[in-house]
Amino acid sequence: MRNERDLSSAAPASKQGVGARVPRKEDDRLMRGRGQFVGDIRLAGLQDVAFVRSPLAHARIRAIHIPERYRDVVFTSADLVGIKPIRAITGLAGFKPSDQPILATDKIRQVGELVAMCVAPTRAEAEDIAASVTLDLEELPAVYDMLKAREPGSPLVHEHWGDNVFLESFFELDISSALDAPIKVTREISTARQCMSPLEGRGVIATFDHRLDQLTLYTGSQMPHIVRNGLSDCLEMDQGQIRIVSPDVGGGFGHKGILLPEEVCLSWLTMKRGFPVRWIEDRREHLVAAANCREHHYKITVYADHDGTLRGIDCEATVDSGAYSSYPFSACLEAAQVVSILPGPYQMPAYRCRTYSVATNKCPILPYRGVARTGVCFALELMLDLVAAEAGLEPGVVRLRNLVRPEQMPFDNITKKHFDSGDYPEALRRAVAQIDIDGIRARQRKGEKDGRLIGVGLSIYCEQAAHGTSVYSGWGIPMVPGHEQATARLTPDGGLELKVGVHSHGQGLETTLSQVAFEMLGVDVAKVRVVHGDTAMTPYSTGTWGSRCMVMAGGAVATACHELGERAKKIGAKLLQVDEASVVLVDGEIRGPNGSVTLKEIAHTWYRRPQDLPGDVDPGGLEATSGYKPQRDSGTFSYAAHAVTVAVDPDLGDVEILDYVIVEDGGVLVNPMIVDGQIYGGLAQGIGTALYEEMPFDRAGQPLNTTLADYLLPGPTEVPAPWLDHMETPSPYTKFGVKGIGEGGAIAPPAAIGNAVNDALRSLGVEMLQSPITPRRVLQGILAARDAERPAA
Amino acid sequence: MKPAPFAYERPRDIASALAAMASSDGVVKIMAGGQSLGPMLNLRLVAPDTIVDITGLAELKHVEVAGNELVIGACVTHADIEDGRVPDVTRGAMQRVASAIAYRAVRNRGTVGGSLSHADPSADWVSTFAALGATLSLRSAKGVRLIAMKDFMLGALESMLQPGEMLEAVRVPVMSASARWGYVKSCRKTGEFAHAIGAVLIDPEAGRARVVIGAVEAAPIIVENAEELFGGRIAGDFKTRFDARVADSLLAKAGMSDAADRHIHVTILRRAVAEAAA
Amino acid sequence: MNSVELTVNTRAVKKDIEPRTSLADLMRDMLDLTGTHLGCEHGVCGACTILVDGVPTRSCITYAVACDGADVTTIEGLDDDEIADELRAAFTREHALQCGYCTPGMLVSARDLVKRLPDADEQQIRIGMSGNLCRCTGYVGIVRAVQSVISERRARDIAPEPDGGRKVLGPAGSGHATCVSSQKLAVAKPVVHAPSEAVAPLDIPDFTPSTTLEQQFTVAHPSAKVFALFDDIAAVASCLPGATLVGTPKPERVEGAIRVKIGPISANFNGAARVERDEANLSGRILGVGNDQRSRSTTQGEIRYRLVPLDKGAATRVELTIGYSLTGVLAQVGRSGLVRDLAARLVAEFAGNLDRRLSGDVRSAPSAAADLNGVSLILGLLRERAMHVVRRLTGRGGSA
Repeated sequence: MRNERDLSSAAPASKQGVGARVPRKEDDRLMRGRGQFVGDIRLAGLQDVAFVRSPLAHARIRAIHIPERYRDVVFTSADLVGIKPIRAITGLAGFKPSDQPILATDKIRQVGELVAMCVAPTRAEAEDIAASVTLDLEELPAVYDMLKAREPGSPLVHEHWGDNVFLESFFELDISSALDAPIKVTREISTARQCMSPLEGRGVIATFDHRLDQLTLYTGSQMPHIVRNGLSDCLEMDQGQIRIVSPDVGGGFGHKGILLPEEVCLSWLTMKRGFPVRWIEDRREHLVAAANCREHHYKITVYADHDGTLRGIDCEATVDSGAYSSYPFSACLEAAQVVSILPGPYQMPAYRCRTYSVATNKCPILPYRGVARTGVCFALELMLDLVAAEAGLEPGVVRLRNLVRPEQMPFDNITKKHFDSGDYPEALRRAVAQIDIDGIRARQRKGEKDGRLIGVGLSIYCEQAAHGTSVYSGWGIPMVPGHEQATARLTPDGGLELKVGVHSHGQGLETTLSQVAFEMLGVDVAKVRVVHGDTAMTPYSTGTWGSRCMVMAGGAVATACHELGERAKKIGAKLLQVDEASVVLVDGEIRGPNGSVTLKEIAHTWYRRPQDLPGDVDPGGLEATSGYKPQRDSGTFSYAAHAVTVAVDPDLGDVEILDYVIVEDGGVLVNPMIVDGQIYGGLAQGIGTALYEEMPFDRAGQPLNTTLADYLLPGPTEVPAPWLDHMETPSPYTKFGVKGIGEGGAIAPPAAIGNAVNDALRSLGVEMLQSPITPRRVLQGILAARDAERPAA
Repeated sequence: MKPAPFAYERPRDIASALAAMASSDGVVKIMAGGQSLGPMLNLRLVAPDTIVDITGLAELKHVEVAGNELVIGACVTHADIEDGRVPDVTRGAMQRVASAIAYRAVRNRGTVGGSLSHADPSADWVSTFAALGATLSLRSAKGVRLIAMKDFMLGALESMLQPGEMLEAVRVPVMSASARWGYVKSCRKTGEFAHAIGAVLIDPEAGRARVVIGAVEAAPIIVENAEELFGGRIAGDFKTRFDARVADSLLAKAGMSDAADRHIHVTILRRAVAEAAA
Repeated sequence: MNSVELTVNTRAVKKDIEPRTSLADLMRDMLDLTGTHLGCEHGVCGACTILVDGVPTRSCITYAVACDGADVTTIEGLDDDEIADELRAAFTREHALQCGYCTPGMLVSARDLVKRLPDADEQQIRIGMSGNLCRCTGYVGIVRAVQSVISERRARDIAPEPDGGRKVLGPAGSGHATCVSSQKLAVAKPVVHAPSEAVAPLDIPDFTPSTTLEQQFTVAHPSAKVFALFDDIAAVASCLPGATLVGTPKPERVEGAIRVKIGPISANFNGAARVERDEANLSGRILGVGNDQRSRSTTQGEIRYRLVPLDKGAATRVELTIGYSLTGVLAQVGRSGLVRDLAARLVAEFAGNLDRRLSGDVRSAPSAAADLNGVSLILGLLRERAMHVVRRLTGRGGSA
């Protein structure tokens, strides 16, 4: 199965094309400190912005006191005349919209909400001004707990709603057939609120060009075209008057996938004041005020037979969506996804799930790498291990009993998710073999010399990626992906320019899209330039999210290159004076029966010596823009089995990862080196979710871990190098058979690690059902279990 | 995230540093390496009117062995100790502690004196020097006074340092040949601050042991004569004689009411004792 | 403004800067050396790591004035550096970077490790690189790249330099006195931005305390005398460490301030309180709220008391319930942890002061309060939180 590819061009794996481990074109500038991030851009007359942010989670603004001498450099909502709030609605029935003010108006709904904007020649001075502004606030009781927020009598985030629920979603099949199952396990499982924490925060520079009558916004964004849509709505400006440039971006992970009130503010400010303005999100702003993710709660019951066969799942899930519906994904994508993806890659006859997207006085949420899947996988996979324990079976056995099988592919599951291809049981078998479960069991029986407890955990997931129009039109959010477009242009010297609307910020698209072009046209990867991150220069795209770029932009580049190749063939045939049908495009040249002409020669002729072209040449030329959608737009399904061995120190609660195995199937890999990197990086973030990262809030809605000394990101000693194995089952629906894989690494680790910890602690009667699994939680569990065991005096 | 404005002075010598502290208007803060103060300035948690930078003072970067003591100037860095630029009188103990403080880039500027003056309960040197029996030399316009490290900390971020007084040097006794050293700290990740510290200096031949339970959110718990932790007698079998119940009750007496916290501290102390015995 | 002279990437540079300008901001904003990245600005992430006097230094928490005369090398200055070249080749081969934001700092730290580590031990490399966070790569490629460069160099008989080349004592960047004629630099008076109005809060709202403590004690005085003391707001305030009153206290509104100092952090809560009394039940409460303008933090507190006559009216049991909450910047760091223990001690001190005051020891009450190092009762929570800030940021033995 390895390296099994379905390449219509039938080219063998070349050194540069699809499947090659091509070193990245991006690396050199970044390693020499010559990347250009938003904070690195210098414009004449640039001034810095600092914001006055709310210290309270829920309050009414009685007054904002601005010192007299700063009246003309401090701006509040009263100044933003005609600017619309950010509004991200969904088409889902019952959804309650929220208006996210650009600067707070009468009421504050989260700590860190923007209240006033201060501008000065330097950031330090802008912060001095911000510090001189005083706020007179009337504090209101904070909605800090999503479960309490659902109870009657809770304070209300948006009073006119009458409750705190953005949306209730449900899926219901009759589960009565499951109720007599001999095994019934019920638990409450939860995942902590997290901050995505790319190393570079958000950043915005806004400037207005009067000659072009155009606002240019430099912003670290995963989806510049979507920012333009949203900005155009808020500012009520023509889209042609707005240009969004997203330069080098220091990591996204979802954090850079929403429209920010700061982007609207700075756009307004530069037009108001006439000079360029800049705001760079600092780490405290990121941790206190920026969008969060991941806070889920599940009350779940799994029904099963003694042999581990699933009979049904019944679940009520709650997602803490924060104060506002963020643009464009909305407050409900996450919880609505929970309903549809909770069954994972398993078959079951009965399923019922109800979810609540709840508004609280916290930052809005947005989809973080893996989106709802990380929480769903944590809940379901923990439950499967509990079922296995109840049944007295190995966790792997229970999974094999229920996983969708290769001969069923393509397979529509209980929620009508369409699994395109794959061999899930094989991935699991390989992971189980590699982690050596039998060896671990023997080791567990023997015990460890150092007194630690060893445990092994598995998890498996599927990742729907690059899902398109049919899926997103169903959500009805402000952004529905259609055909992905790319432009391919031969330059007069025979180089190739590719223009794409997606954005690359670590994924290596400058390299992989060049590989696709090489595959199609034979142009040396070094001669391909990928242009991205600029609405003025690239075709419209919803951008980079949902593990979609390799499938969608890769497909679009292939399509555009194909069309370009066809045009080159026509010209080549003319130049070779042979019939068009007799030429082929191979290795960057058009070959006919009696000779060949290179693309470089064709380009030179088209641009520089048009006199050599025959009169009836196709005027389309050597620039082609083309759109692409997979044959089905229900998404590719990549998947992986993770297996992990941990050692738990029962005296400190520390968890050490001893061994980590990943068997992954992402379809055909364009650049296996980059795919490996995505999986390693995803694993690191998954370990963060599992063991370290948490943004707690107190009862006043105050976020508590507001520095990186409190909000712990995994470092080199916390993340092991996993053993990695690839399967390559091509997607039947996509160009080259590729599947999206960008998020998968971050989905399974919390579940696998949680299962391993629970396996280690099983003899003590301790279960960890809440992420992150911190030493304190583990130790408290162990001490509580000991106390419970002690006979009453 | 930029500091509030402050004035900056770099005095010529200790005397002018003391004069600067006395003469400046408003809040004056001494800065040694700035690796603790810097973050707080940037976060605007601290906004002094004037910062007096003492890192230029050669007197504070001086190290010598005087009699039975190593005298370490306040502006000697963690990296200076880690790298062996400071004579080793503790058979590698200080070097090992230094090498595990934060990260190398922080150790290249962070200083021993700055760390102690800051009086952070979870700082490594606070517990280490207490266990080693060090003495601090504090200088003010009135002269020098010597304070035992065990008496220096009054509480979290509270020390014996008076206004107008600065830490000049640490005097560390040469470790005896028969003494055994153990130092263990609990961190959730490498370089993170300690949640618990156990530091022990045990001399089975002399029948003496000094035990420090550190990172307790207050001044460390220091047991000068730790026989009670070892069943009343310090001998070669001290590892097996270690009595966790006594340690637990010490912590409870110190006001640590959370059982999990006590469990962690007792475990770390037991491991420090085991390390000393290894 | 202070003048600072540095050698940056072998070029002499002289700039007038504010003392608060970090080395990173000087590099980026004044010299346009934007390869030095800011990731956290509090010394944790390592993205800003540059070489000062040849060794890695956090440029975000190191102020440029403090490095006057030092030799600085940024990533841009390592273009032709032999080790950096080898590392770049290894980084790209091992896919040790994705977004590239952490990479300059990562390379600076890696270069230092390549010099210092005796061999390519994976765990030692991981520990050595732990001061540099990467959010993209999972460190797999980074560790492999550093391993490979160390192995290759040791195979070429290039010996390690365990001290990284540093031979002198003291903080990197310090002690270059030659470039300034006078060590006592001209003091630039910082611009003082007084808050526009130090307004005492309008309302004194009811609230639900986040922490509540109870304390009781018995005094040998009749209840009426004790009850009268609680009516004397100035007397009660004098028992509260750090509290001062402004103007004439009236039961419905008492204005004042509470000052608290935790190590280098200080806060001054200006606020107001009101007093409620229930004569029939010999009980009452004092409810207050205060703002610290500088940290944009607010504390609310209440003291509830109930008096129980004992010994036929000769003595009184005073039952105190004290609650408080904190919001704002000072509340936003850290968990409450052991607040109760600490605050309980402070409540005991307050109770002790009241007791002494009731016993007629008028003078000793305030001085007893002062002995608490300015830590106030209501600010027990603040103290713990602020301590937590400090500890989190510095509890790694860093220096002040």
